[in-house]
Amino acid sequence: MAFKLSEEFKTKAEKLCAKYPRRDAALIPLLHELQKEAGYVAEEGMDALALFLELPYSRVKAVATFYTMFNREPAGKYHLQVCRNISCHMAGAEGLLERLRAALGIAEGETTKDGLFTLSAVECLGACGSAPVMQVNDDYFENLTGEKLDVILEELKHGKYPSQK
Amino acid sequence: MPKLTIDGKNIEVAKGTTLLEAAQQLGIYIPRYCYHPKLSVSGSCRMCLVEVERGPKLVTACSTEAADGMAVLTASDKVMAARRDVLEFLLINHPLDCPICDQAGECGLQDYYMKYSLRKSRFSQEDKVLRQKRRAAGPRLMLDNERCILCTRCVRFCSEVTKTFELEVMERSDHSFIDLKEGKALDNDYSLNIADLCPVGAFTSRDFRFKQRVWFLKKTPTICLGCATGCKIEAHHNENTIYRLAPRPNSETNTWLCDHGRLSYKAVQAGDRLAKGVIKNGLIDLEPALREAATRIDEAKGAVAVLGSPWLSVEDNAALARLAKDAIKTESYCFDLTAEQGIKDGILINKDPAPNTSGVKLVKEALGGISLEELVRRIAAGQFKVVLTEARAALLIKDALKTSGPRLIVFACAKSEIPAGAYATFPYATYFETPGTFVNYQGLRRRTEAPVEAPEGVKPLWALVNKLAAYSGAGLRLDSAEDALKEIIFK
Amino acid sequence: MENILLKNNVAGIEAYFADGGYKPLKKALGLKPADIIEEVKKSNLRGRGGAGFPAGLKWSFIPKDAQGPRYLVCNADEGEPGTFKDRELLRKNPHALIEGMAIAAYAIGAGHGYIYIRGEFAAEAELLEKAVAAARAKGFIGKNILGSGFNFEIFTHRGAGAYICGEETALLESLEGYKGQPRLKPPFPAIKGLFGCPTVINNVETLAAVPAIIEKGGDWYAALGSGKSAGTKLFCVSGPVNKPGVYELPLGVTFLDLLEKSCGGMKTGKKLKAVLPGGSSTPVLTAEEALAVKLDYESLAAAGSMLGSGAVIVIDESQCMVKLLQVLARFYHHESCGQCTPCREGCGWIDKLLSRFEEGRAEKKDIDTLYSVAEGMLGRTICPLADAMAMPVMSFVKKFRAEFEAHAAGKTCAEAK
Repeated sequence: MAFKLSEEFKTKAEKLCAKYPRRDAALIPLLHELQKEAGYVAEEGMDALALFLELPYSRVKAVATFYTMFNREPAGKYHLQVCRNISCHMAGAEGLLERLRAALGIAEGETTKDGLFTLSAVECLGACGSAPVMQVNDDYFENLTGEKLDVILEELKHGKYPSQK
Repeated sequence: MPKLTIDGKNIEVAKGTTLLEAAQQLGIYIPRYCYHPKLSVSGSCRMCLVEVERGPKLVTACSTEAADGMAVLTASDKVMAARRDVLEFLLINHPLDCPICDQAGECGLQDYYMKYSLRKSRFSQEDKVLRQKRRAAGPRLMLDNERCILCTRCVRFCSEVTKTFELEVMERSDHSFIDLKEGKALDNDYSLNIADLCPVGAFTSRDFRFKQRVWFLKKTPTICLGCATGCKIEAHHNENTIYRLAPRPNSETNTWLCDHGRLSYKAVQAGDRLAKGVIKNGLIDLEPALREAATRIDEAKGAVAVLGSPWLSVEDNAALARLAKDAIKTESYCFDLTAEQGIKDGILINKDPAPNTSGVKLVKEALGGISLEELVRRIAAGQFKVVLTEARAALLIKDALKTSGPRLIVFACAKSEIPAGAYATFPYATYFETPGTFVNYQGLRRRTEAPVEAPEGVKPLWALVNKLAAYSGAGLRLDSAEDALKEIIFK
Repeated sequence: MENILLKNNVAGIEAYFADGGYKPLKKALGLKPADIIEEVKKSNLRGRGGAGFPAGLKWSFIPKDAQGPRYLVCNADEGEPGTFKDRELLRKNPHALIEGMAIAAYAIGAGHGYIYIRGEFAAEAELLEKAVAAARAKGFIGKNILGSGFNFEIFTHRGAGAYICGEETALLESLEGYKGQPRLKPPFPAIKGLFGCPTVINNVETLAAVPAIIEKGGDWYAALGSGKSAGTKLFCVSGPVNKPGVYELPLGVTFLDLLEKSCGGMKTGKKLKAVLPGGSSTPVLTAEEALAVKLDYESLAAAGSMLGSGAVIVIDESQCMVKLLQVLARFYHHESCGQCTPCREGCGWIDKLLSRFEEGRAEKKDIDTLYSVAEGMLGRTICPLADAMAMPVMSFVKKFRAEFEAHAAGKTCAEAK
């Protein structure tokens, strides 16, 4: 499949590259940008990026698969990432995950058929003082309870972005 | 110059020497997987951990520089415990398929397990990480990720030596694995070195797989004749069959071996290997064929030209020169061959595909002869009734031969080498079957050793020349290859 | 005592400036770089990321005669489970970090600084970019800072989900666009760091403490805290306490004071069982040990644990220690970079062993196996991630062995704890 980096992407990419004495240092920020455009990092995207940065494809792929934030498959519109590390675990993260699995009818790593939600269990999000915590795309939702979670889910389903807390 | 002790032995080493290298100088072997003297240091397998007295932790011998006053222990209880632990870690996710693994017998895991561990595994089989089993990673390599211990030698080889960057470790933690781009083949010119480098059975040679258990193989040191680089190699063989070639790492020419050279042994077993003489297109026994050729040479009454060949040993070229000079008594012999010399890919492959252009030059210096230009001119002018040479060298005078059409007598190993229109062809022994001296592009004189015998009836080229001379009535008295070298002066 | 780091209402540059902010930078630019390093050495400021290495000493390792660029890198890859102080600091007081970086850069002669912030902190990265832009607009960052002739630019760089990048050389690899796999040391970053140049890497909290040290002097800072553990520390308290959160307190504060005075004690009905005093990687303390300990480098080391990142994870009696250890093992298994054999294979093995305990498939001998696998990892790898797995395992097994035995005897978490 022919895949071309958009001109907009390239302009942005040049700016990012300029932050570093070596262009390839921008690889991770550029993978973020790729993911922003497509919701995931596709094979063709990695190919194009390798060409753009004049890097071997293997390096791009190795980096993209090393870091957990890069989705290898298209993610849902809302990527629900529930922290399950120690503080969140003690605060009931397992229960939240169970609630989400039941509400969405999917397991961790899966996306709902309507493409709205992807569910992931993730490791420490660095907000342990307000456990349990979930990240939806880039935003944190903290001090969660089952009820709060239900409200957030309802709002998202109806296209309303919840105010964070 | 740091002075230190290793296992109580004193040693002084050059600054920058690692503990592993220093130990090696003392003859103390430190086990290792990721370390390779010609690749960057990775320090990740943790097999070479050693104890430095008063140090808080064990250190990797491969990456730690020797320092003045160090007291290093390579076999202390702590070190032995670390080796046992690392081996146990490496083995937990390794499949138990040694009986069907081609690496068995030369496997780093097997060898070190026997030497340093012998511990019963405490890991339960059902917990093993399952990785992809064998698949072709390229035309010459198989990859079995499940056997891989992630030492990354292969990755570093492709990025540091061939600079082709095919391989990388994908993912992380214990689900990481070596991979290349989907649909892409690992087919660089040196890919088979990866099978050598791989300490386990993850990368194996598709050519060698399952042909022979390695403990049956005998090893004969010899020289690669794949080009003018003249790499030192060893032939691995059993019961008169060569199964593979491997580099003999040395500081003069090569650590590695190119795939072309590595597979060059196949010529020995080629299906169209000649075992009899060929006159026109008919196979006949060697003796009558040689007599027939000798008759044609005699009939020509000196209108004979002889051309040397960069594909032949110094001995065989010298024998040809002697044949021209002392038996046929023609002055039209040429050992004036030149070819551009030098490494063309920055690694090993030479611009000159022939192994002995420099060796032929020595024959010319000792025995004289005319220039190639002159020879071509004389052939084209129809001055000869017979032209004698080696099959591939005949290509050098191809056009001239066409113009005048003398009888072409050639020496060839395989049918496919015979030039069109050859009058007579004689089979000769390859240099895996008879020793021969070659001079590489650096001027280094090297001799091949014969790991196997030539097919029945196939003789070394110098011996054929000796017979031709005898049948022509002028004995050269060559009883051995060395006899042919008598007048050659090596520098 | 007044907070040095966590101040209210100084997030904006105007407010920060009104509070006396960027005056230390001006003062610093009038000093010799060597004098700044001396002052920081005098302060006894130690690395707040976890290792506790003296900051001034680290700065002094940059070779004086090094040619070419030098870099300052801020480690904002906050990822140690239980730690959330840098996020708080970035939100509440980003200019303390920026100012601290400018001073540190001047001291070590760096022209460029990078803030490596964990990828998940997208909002904080944006805040930070804005704060840097505001500082640049005021001339605190950029060319010829405050007319001193000193140039210093700061770039933010987001990670992408890898705990290991909190390790300083893995961070450098990641910042250069590679997988975050720790480098062999030596060479140390001060000699060969980012892009092969001399580099200092400091934690957010470490750098944010620098302006106050310059303003009030190293002696003043050294007098705060307790003995060799100078200054204040951000303690992140999580778990079943009434008021979890980040508290800035002098080092040497007792755990008891932190728990009772700052956090309002345990939640109703919850009884203290154990504490991970410095993040998930530090050896666990029993309730009894915790209640007797002071929170500083030396006291915690004497108690057999570590101050780490200052992440105090409070565990109550309702928790099963085997389950909690499994949660941690799953994390380290997930985060091992995969480079070194003992860590790559050991973390997974421990995770799987603990699953056996949790799922009732373990035998009593597995307890010893668990312990010895951890022992086999300890101190045998390039970076301390393997140790970070091994230390909790060994301490959990040692101190809560009965719970492992109960699991091995077929009991559930509820029965085992």
